Amino acid sequence: MSQKPERRGIHVDQSELLCKKGCGYYGNAAWQGLCSKCWREEYQRAKERQIQEDWAFAEKLQREEEVAYASSQGPSSQPGPQPQAQATPPHAALTPFSKFEEKKTNEKMRKVTTVKKFFSPSTRIAPKKGLVEREDRTLRAWRGIFSPSWEMGSPTEALVARLREGHEGKTSSPSISRQASLETDRVSKDFMEFLKTMQRPGREIHKQCRAFIESMANKKQDLGADELSECVQDFYQNLSDRLMSHFKGSSESVERVMDQVEKYIMTRLYKSVFCPETTDDEKKDLATQHRIRALHWVTIEMLCVSMDEEIPEVSDNVVKAITDVIEMDSKRVPRDKLACITQCSKHIFSAIKITKKEPASADDFLPALIYIVLKANPPRLQSNIQYITRFCNPSRLMTGEDGYYFTNLCCAVAFIEKLDAQSLNLDTDEFERYMSGQASPRRPTDDGGWPLEAGPSPQGGAAAAASSVAVNPALAQLHHSLEQLSGLSERQDRLMEGARGLQEELVSWEEGVRREVQHILERYPLEVRPPPASAIDTENAETDRLPPPLTPQVFAG
Amino acid sequence: MSAMRVDTKVVMLGKESVGKTSLVERYVHHRFLVGPYQNTIGAAFVAKPIQVGDKVVTLGIWDTAGSERYEAMSRIYYRGARAAVVCYDLTDSSSFQRARFWVKELQNCEEHCKIYLCGTKNDLVQADRGLRQIDFHDAQDFAEEIGAQLYETSSKTGNNVDELFQRIAEEYSDSAFQYMSNEAGVDLSQKKDSYFYSCCHNN
Repeated sequence: MSQKPERRGIHVDQSELLCKKGCGYYGNAAWQGLCSKCWREEYQRAKERQIQEDWAFAEKLQREEEVAYASSQGPSSQPGPQPQAQATPPHAALTPFSKFEEKKTNEKMRKVTTVKKFFSPSTRIAPKKGLVEREDRTLRAWRGIFSPSWEMGSPTEALVARLREGHEGKTSSPSISRQASLETDRVSKDFMEFLKTMQRPGREIHKQCRAFIESMANKKQDLGADELSECVQDFYQNLSDRLMSHFKGSSESVERVMDQVEKYIMTRLYKSVFCPETTDDEKKDLATQHRIRALHWVTIEMLCVSMDEEIPEVSDNVVKAITDVIEMDSKRVPRDKLACITQCSKHIFSAIKITKKEPASADDFLPALIYIVLKANPPRLQSNIQYITRFCNPSRLMTGEDGYYFTNLCCAVAFIEKLDAQSLNLDTDEFERYMSGQASPRRPTDDGGWPLEAGPSPQGGAAAAASSVAVNPALAQLHHSLEQLSGLSERQDRLMEGARGLQEELVSWEEGVRREVQHILERYPLEVRPPPASAIDTENAETDRLPPPLTPQVFAG
Repeated sequence: MSAMRVDTKVVMLGKESVGKTSLVERYVHHRFLVGPYQNTIGAAFVAKPIQVGDKVVTLGIWDTAGSERYEAMSRIYYRGARAAVVCYDLTDSSSFQRARFWVKELQNCEEHCKIYLCGTKNDLVQADRGLRQIDFHDAQDFAEEIGAQLYETSSKTGNNVDELFQRIAEEYSDSAFQYMSNEAGVDLSQKKDSYFYSCCHNN
C-alpha cells in the first residue's frame, strides 16, 4: 500500500519557473533563472563593465610600458599620447639600433619604411573595419591614444577586437579572444616585473625585445617561415651572447633571462608565426589528422606496447598522457608546449612502470608514445612541431630532457606517417583490409579478457554487429554505466520500499503504544484518595517513652 | 627550471636487448638490475655531470629504440649528437651486423659525431668462452677502420663502464674547447645584418 507516491518526484512550484526579474515570462536555469530578454540585458551590462575594467587595465599597462620605455629612451623621443604621434614610436625604437649597424643607410629610405610601417597594419585590419562604420571612428581614436597599432596581440588590439564584438552583439566568441588577450597582458606584465629586478640591463633587454617584435611585425608579410625562424634564432643568439658577457659567463642567469625573453616574444608573435600562411603546415596537419583517423584500428598489441590498460592506474596515466599531448596546442610559448610533451612522456613512463614493474627503456617508450599519439590525435600536431622547431631556444631542443621527449614525438609522428603492414607485423592484405575499413581487428572485450588471437574478426554483418559492443570501448563504458544506473534505481526502489515499511511500522507502533497506555490507564484508573487526617505524632511509636514535657517552675527568689 | 643544463648529447644505439638501458643504468646508478626496479621512472633519458679536469661536463644520454621497425626514424635521434655509443652483444653476431649498419648511418649523416663501439655482456663471455661470437680482434679491426674506440663492458660487474663514459666526456671537453675557439670570430660578424639591419631594408 503506497502512500502518496508523488512525493518521490521533484516538486517544482510554478513561481520558480518564472523569470527572476518578475517580468512574467518563463526563466531558464542556463540564464541564471532569467528569461531570455532580461538575461541579455544583464549580460550586456556585465560585459560593458568588463570592458571598462579591461580598458583601465590596458591603460595602466600601457603607461607602465611607456614609462619603462621612455626612461630607457630619453625624453626626446617619448611617444606622445596624441594620435598624431603614432608614427614616432617605430622610428624612435629603431634609433638605438643604428649603433649596431655598420653601414648607415640614408635617412630618407628609413623614413619611407617607417611610414609604411605605420600604414601596413591598418590595411591588415581594414576588411574587418567595413563591418561597423560608426564604431570605427571611435576605435581609430582609441587606437591612437593607446599603443601604436603595429603591435599584434597588444592589449589595445585585443580590446579593439573585443569592443567590436561587443558592439555587434556577438555572444559566443569573446571568451576566446579575451583569454588570449588577457594572457598577453599577463605575460607582458610578468616580463616587466621580471626586468624591473634587473635594473639597467632590464631596460636594455626590454628595448631590444620591443624593437624586435616590431621589426618582426613589419617583416612577416614577405618572409617565409624559415626566415622568420632564422630571425628569432638570431635574436636569441645575439641576446644570449650579450647577456653572457654581461653576466660574466654565468650560464644559469642567462638561461633564466632567455626563458623570460622567449616567453614574452613568442606570446606576442604567436598569432603571426604559428602555422603561417606561407607554409603548408596546415595541409600537413590535416593529412596527419586523416592518417591517424584512418589508423583507428591499430591495437596496443600490434604496436607491442607494454601497457596493460586493464589496470586502473595505468589507464589513468594513459588518459593523462592523452590530455597532456592534446593540451600542447593550447600553449603559446614553445617551452610550455615542450613541457606538455614532457609531462605526457612522464605519464607514459609511469604507465609502463606500473605494468612491467620496472622502469621503461626507449624500446618500451617509443611504441607507447606512438600509441598515445594515435589515440589522442592531437590537434595541429605538425604545426606545433614545426613551431617548436623553429622558435624554441635551440640548446633546449638539442640536448635537454625536453629535447629528448620532443625528438621521440617527432619519431612517433614520422613512424605514423610511414607506417605499413610490416611495421605492425601484419600481412599486406590484412593491412589493406583494415585501412579500407573492410575488416577490423578484435579488441579486448569490455569484461577484461584479452583476445586469444589478434587476428581479424570473421567478416560478415552479424559478427560485426555482435562485436560492435566489444570494439568500441566507449560503448562498453556506456553499457556498463547503464547497468550501474539500473542497479542503482533498483536499490533506490528497495530503499523506498523499506522507508515506506518503516513509516507504516512507526505509525502502527505509535498506535500500539497509545493503545497500551490507554489500556493501562483503564486498568489502573487514577484514584485520588483523600489523605487521612492525622496528628503529627500518630505514627511516632516511641512518643510515650519520651519524658514528659518540661513544665515551667517558679523558683522563689 | 627543474631540468638540468646539458652540455652535449650522447646517443645509445644498438639492437634490442643488447643492454643499452642496462649500460646506462649501471653507469648512472651504479647498479645492475634484475627483478623489480626501484625509484627511477625511466632510464630513457639521463643527464649526468662528469668531472673532467677542473671542469664539469654534463652528458645528456639518450636511449633509443633498437627495434628494426624504427630504423627509418633513427636519424631523427642522432641528429646533432656529438657522441654515439654503438652497442652490440658479444654473444650475438647478428647484433654486430646491426652495429655496422648504425656506424655507416652515422658516418653518412653525422660527421661530427664521435663513435664508440661497445661490446656488452662481457661477464657472460668471461664465464664461458664458448659463448663469444664476436672476436675481440675482429671488432678491434673494425673500430680502427672507422676511427672509433672499442670497449668491451659488463653492466653486471660494471667492468669498463665508467671508463667508457669518462672517455666520452673527456673527448667532448677537448673538442668543445677547439670548437669554440674556432667559431668565436665568425659568429659575431654574421649576426649584424641578419635582423637589425634587414628590417629597415626589405620593403
